[in-house]
Amino acid sequence: MSSITAVFYRDYRQRMTNIGFVFWDLFVPLAYLLLFGLGFERMLGGSIGIAGKSFGYIEFLLPGVLGMVTFSVAMNTSWGFFMDKDSGIFYELLTYPITRLQFLIGKISFNLLLALIGSIMAVVLGVAALGASIRLDLLPLTAAIIVTATAGWFFLFSVFAIKLARMDSFNTVLSATYILLMFLSSMFYPLSDLPIWFRVPAYLNPMTWQVDLLRFSLLGVGSATSLLLEGAATLIFCLVCLALAVRALNRAD
Amino acid sequence: MGNAIEVADVHKVYRANKGEVVRALDGVSFQIPQGRIYGLLGPNGAGKSTLVKILSTITPLASGRASVMGFDVTRQPRAVREQLAVVLQQTATENLLTVRDNLLIYAYLHGVKSADAEVRLRAVTEEFELGERLRDTVQELSLGTKRRIQVAKIFMIEAPVIILDEATTGMDPLMKRRVMDRLRTEARNGRTILLTTQVLSEAEELCESIIILDQGRAMASGTLRELRTLSTHLFRVNLLFAGTDGDLVGRLQALMPVQLQVDGNSAEMVFHGEEASLLGKLADISRDTPILQFEVRGPTLEEIFIALMKETR
Repeated sequence: MSSITAVFYRDYRQRMTNIGFVFWDLFVPLAYLLLFGLGFERMLGGSIGIAGKSFGYIEFLLPGVLGMVTFSVAMNTSWGFFMDKDSGIFYELLTYPITRLQFLIGKISFNLLLALIGSIMAVVLGVAALGASIRLDLLPLTAAIIVTATAGWFFLFSVFAIKLARMDSFNTVLSATYILLMFLSSMFYPLSDLPIWFRVPAYLNPMTWQVDLLRFSLLGVGSATSLLLEGAATLIFCLVCLALAVRALNRAD
Repeated sequence: MGNAIEVADVHKVYRANKGEVVRALDGVSFQIPQGRIYGLLGPNGAGKSTLVKILSTITPLASGRASVMGFDVTRQPRAVREQLAVVLQQTATENLLTVRDNLLIYAYLHGVKSADAEVRLRAVTEEFELGERLRDTVQELSLGTKRRIQVAKIFMIEAPVIILDEATTGMDPLMKRRVMDRLRTEARNGRTILLTTQVLSEAEELCESIIILDQGRAMASGTLRELRTLSTHLFRVNLLFAGTDGDLVGRLQALMPVQLQVDGNSAEMVFHGEEASLLGKLADISRDTPILQFEVRGPTLEEIFIALMKETR
């Protein structure tokens, strides 16, 4: 069994022992889409215009919900480092004959599958039950964005999980990050009508880049220049966070 | 056979919370030939666990050089880890998983193929009496059983070097004996074992060579015989008196022993000095309280350790 496969198998066995976590990863975004999406669609009554096209709120929110899936899966996967610290196995893992990079890749691999399953469930719910209309031809691009975004968030949160000694500190950091990154982005509303002090940090937020990319792959909207920039920025974000996570593991003593 | 572990002038400095610089290791050097059981002793904070972390590539060294089976811990960390099976000081088990998963996943993560891992699983579970626990989740088990699983894991793989950091802590005596016997067998088969412990009798029984660390420095090293030679003026005296008188303890204390233990009419003492000068003083005591039995022996490891600690502090 290769190193990455072995870590993949370990994470699979661990995750399957706690269905509550898997439930959180897969169903909470669905609840957002169903309750939040339906509620706002009815409240707004009409449609949201983006780049000259108009969409129902469910359609507008669906890419944001996929962003939420990437975020939740990454958060709970990185929380696994605290379980490892709690059981004392964290340092022992660092003595195993695998590189830090292989360890991180193996750890996220199973959870990428979870993120893809969660995304498929959200898309199916949005299209089949809530009547959203999406582009099917760009689904492979959607999957690629989900994978890159989940991995990027996981690598970022891993840095905190490895560096912070206390679980309550980690939970506080993650909760604050969760609220800020979700609401200070294009996840729930178009940014164009918002004040400049809101738009500047929102455009610097990786969640905005990912949601914009997902909005393009699902709905076909967005300008080519900004999408290329946001695509490159998402890739760089993922690679930089990976490098930081490897560095954190190398200095985990 | 060459050296399995080489440590040359290794330094490690930590910065404590208040910015205070702590020298965890201050120029430690030693070599361990292949197939030997080597003990690393020292009081709390001596630097033992830091050295283990450096050798197992968890923490980088500040200066000096350390290698395992010829692979440099700084430049070839993965190759070093391929040579190692490590049991760290704290209990380390996958608490949410079953005993079976704990053992198999450890093997998989060390590159053992599934079929081989199953074969080893059967042998290890029989040896460590874990067969009936295989499907139990580890978090339901006692601390001693968790420790047993942790040690059993290292026999799921065939890494040439085993590092055990206080590995037998919390184990019942019978299992501890079994682990020690198994370690001796492994050493005879060519595996090298580095053991850190505070149970000096365990080190005395198991280790062929010993290094004593204190405050990040190697105070003494060698075989137990060599360490005894280092402490030529340290000796143990066992005495059996014909009776006891009220002042016997006081008269023995007046001889200024390093250690004194009196139990009824028998006394065990450790002295630092010349044997000849003590004999005259004991002859004086025996005029009032006759000595029925008299025995002089070399010091135990514990006595050497305590004497060395007293010398340096």
